[in-house]
Amino acid sequence: MDAIEHPPIFRLPGIPDHVTYTWLVMVILAAVTFAASRNLQLVPRGLQNFLEVVLEQFMQMIDDVMGHEGRRYLPLIATLGLFILTANLMSLVPGFAGPTGNLNTTGACAIVVFVAYHWIGVRKQGVLAYLKHFAGPVPLPLKPLMFVIELISHLARPLSLTLRLFGNMVGGHILLAVIFLLMGLDGLIGWALSGSVVGAVVGGIGGVITIVFTVGFLYPLKILVAFLQAFIFVMLTMLYISGAIEEAEHHAEHH
Amino acid sequence: MRRSLILGGVAVLAFPTAALAADGGAGGWIGPFAVIAAGIGMAIAAGLCGLGQGRAVASAVDAMARQPGAAARIQTAMIIGLALIESLAIYTLVIALILLFVKGIQFS
Repeated sequence: MDAIEHPPIFRLPGIPDHVTYTWLVMVILAAVTFAASRNLQLVPRGLQNFLEVVLEQFMQMIDDVMGHEGRRYLPLIATLGLFILTANLMSLVPGFAGPTGNLNTTGACAIVVFVAYHWIGVRKQGVLAYLKHFAGPVPLPLKPLMFVIELISHLARPLSLTLRLFGNMVGGHILLAVIFLLMGLDGLIGWALSGSVVGAVVGGIGGVITIVFTVGFLYPLKILVAFLQAFIFVMLTMLYISGAIEEAEHHAEHH
Repeated sequence: MRRSLILGGVAVLAFPTAALAADGGAGGWIGPFAVIAAGIGMAIAAGLCGLGQGRAVASAVDAMARQPGAAARIQTAMIIGLALIESLAIYTLVIALILLFVKGIQFS
């Protein structure tokens, strides 16, 4: 994909771009949270107020989806959400690379979610009960079949989390790259500057239209997608965790 | 009409082989067909995904208009459903990206 996408301006030699910009996201998040929590006050102002609002939004979502006991998993969920949101927004800054535009980053996040919700389920109800619940409420002869189907569906979850985030981000990047290629000095604007009359008219009008289209529609759309994909990743994480917890309660009712 | 289609198919089948055989044939005849397959597959996936999402959004807006009090919960459920529908098109996008950008696929 280097053929159409310009490589980022700041690269460390020998280190892949997404790793470099993952470190940048980590540094930004750590610096912001450190600056906000350096002297905590009872009546928050400024940065502390902003971060408290953000975390209260996460808590509100957790209360809506998982109930009150889901607040134990706020660190996992909020960290994932803030990391993915910052990484998504960073990929929109010209000259930067997006960490979530690489399959390795999104795969790492999805594997963390996969391991975490199984671990939470096993902690909650023990290994055997958790495994038994994969078979579901079906008659005994059907249980092996259900077990295999459930196993495949659970294995498909990290795959779909990975590919959804990656595909959405990379699809947007390629769209923007193609539009910029059509718009730039090799495309319409270059035609407008080339000196011919037809080029000045057609290329000028087309260039202005593409610039307005990009700034007015594509970039807001990409920002919306960045927020939406972070929201969906977090929401699916909460649904998976609450599935693992609710199974425990459901199981305890029957026995 | 039909004859021209067949002739066109034969031309497509014959031309890449002839063209690529001249310059060493990196990827063989699979390259041009990969581009065609990526385009057609993405078109089908985007169209059907649009149909599915349209049905989902239509039902959700209908429900929201009937019960404005439950609009927030319906909206959350709708967004999750849209993400799940959209991920099917995203799978096709990933396949298309693999077909377009991963060099060295050799189906011998």
